[in-house]
Amino acid sequence: MQYITRNLIAAAALALLAGCTSTGDTTGQDQTGAQQDATTEQGITAQPGQDAYSYPYGQAPSQYDTYDTTGGTAGGQASGGRPGQAVAGGGSAVSADRIVYFSFDSAEILPESQTIISKNARVLTGNTRIITQLEGHTDERGSREYNIALGERRANAVRQAMIAMGVSPQQIRVVSYGEERPADAGHDEQSYALNRRVEIVY
Amino acid sequence: MISTALKLFGLIALLLIGRFALAQQPLTIDITKGVQGSGIPIAIAPFGGGAPEDIAGIIASDLQRTGKIAPQPAGARADYSVTGQAQPGGARGYIVQFQLAGIQGAPLLNLSFDVPPNQLRPVAHRISDLIYEKLTGEKGLAGTRIAYIASGGDSWYLVVADADGQNPRVILRSGQPLMSPAWSPDGGKLAYVSFEGRRPQIIVQDIYSGARRVVSAAPGINGAPSWSPNGQRLAFTLSKDGNPEIYALDLATQNPVRLTSSSAIDTEPVWLPDGSIVFTSDRGGSPQLYRIGPGGGAAQRLTFEGDYNARPTVSPDGRYIAMVHRRGGRFHIAVLDLQTRQFRVLTSGGLDESPSFAPNGKMIIYSNGQRLTAVSLDGSVKQDFTLRGNGRDPVWAPYGR
Repeated sequence: MQYITRNLIAAAALALLAGCTSTGDTTGQDQTGAQQDATTEQGITAQPGQDAYSYPYGQAPSQYDTYDTTGGTAGGQASGGRPGQAVAGGGSAVSADRIVYFSFDSAEILPESQTIISKNARVLTGNTRIITQLEGHTDERGSREYNIALGERRANAVRQAMIAMGVSPQQIRVVSYGEERPADAGHDEQSYALNRRVEIVY
Repeated sequence: MISTALKLFGLIALLLIGRFALAQQPLTIDITKGVQGSGIPIAIAPFGGGAPEDIAGIIASDLQRTGKIAPQPAGARADYSVTGQAQPGGARGYIVQFQLAGIQGAPLLNLSFDVPPNQLRPVAHRISDLIYEKLTGEKGLAGTRIAYIASGGDSWYLVVADADGQNPRVILRSGQPLMSPAWSPDGGKLAYVSFEGRRPQIIVQDIYSGARRVVSAAPGINGAPSWSPNGQRLAFTLSKDGNPEIYALDLATQNPVRLTSSSAIDTEPVWLPDGSIVFTSDRGGSPQLYRIGPGGGAAQRLTFEGDYNARPTVSPDGRYIAMVHRRGGRFHIAVLDLQTRQFRVLTSGGLDESPSFAPNGKMIIYSNGQRLTAVSLDGSVKQDFTLRGNGRDPVWAPYGR
């Protein structure tokens, strides 16, 4: 019990911190990583500006396995797991009750997704200090940048549904990864179905 | 015959690399179409002089890859012959000298180069391009470079390699996705999308100094950067106003101007030489290519075949637009001739994407979902770039430095 209380206090402090970070923000739509780092409970740990390393062409490394940060298998294989598995490098390990799936070429919320969306919406309306990031994804077919736009359309569909359920727009961030972070590395319809999704991260 | 030998050599090289140098991930290129028995026969003798690089081998492989020239062993019946030497000497370390000759008469080319040891490969490519240009009247590609995105483990890489896939350089490593690299017209910078900090940003990186500048980090999508022909402006996609729209940014003043206004997806802008912009939009219900003037205005639809035409790329002369085209649920690279309005499907893969023209306008590099591949504009020559790991989003560098 004491443990939970302590966590709650920590969460509240973080939320306060996030509030401070966002003061002076004029757009109201800012998606800075700092905010998310402070307010999210899981998944988002990357620190802005610290996950990219550039090299001048003349001195650039010509071997890239050396620079893998995973310490796992060398060889540049695309990471990815089979259905149901969390994926290394494939985004946040989000549990199934926070994933909304979509039909091919569609951003329409399916009837079976209503339960998942409303369950998460209730969490957000119940605690308005929680900020969620809706991460839109597509399968690998078609052009990559167009898929970024499709992924955003899907995330926005979930956003609209949540707002209709009473969630404040201020609690929702949207980012699209298109086909860049597949949940499943396969190339068949079964994998594609798992990749056409919006992850509700908070 | 020599083609088989080259393939075998490539295979052995690949196996050796796989065995002893896991870290090295070069592309090796196989000609898969349109080469056997075709092309101008040219006999290439080994270069004497004891240089550490097989100059003649590099030249043969470069010329083979064009699909228009058929290298033969020395002494074989051929219309042309190449002979040369690469020996220690000169002010820089090596003197490389070569001759291109016809069956009779004076040599067509007779040149020598004074180079340091690490420039022996580039000089071989230069010789290949000189020979190619002499015999075909077209500029060659052997001395050009490509950029592409690779990933492995938890990292994404922006890589610049020579056009034969050798010498791959990681110019950026990131723990978050990288995509959509685009070369500046002078070949000195790459614009790209980086998700570092878990949000998309458009970054311009000087490849020689490694210096990076964030060009756009607006809320929402920051995507699909494309350089104007004079290199002073960058077009890209932002969704900060609610849905994806095309913007053009003057790099000196940093002032983005919105060029489209629709409730649909507008993305993937590319410039034509006259400053007008071709982009993808689903304003008609399915993604198709449209064209707007340099300052925006009414959009003219360009594509009418099939229910999906996206990711345009423009040939250097502005005549052709290559794109991702879907028919029967499968994705191919197709080309639209803006002069004749003729539309042709060039490739037969099912996941083909990200086409990019070579700077001579004769080849298009693209990803087939697994590998990098190139196809000639007329569809007659095809090259597979076989790389360990993966490669995608290829872009062929312009001529220039």
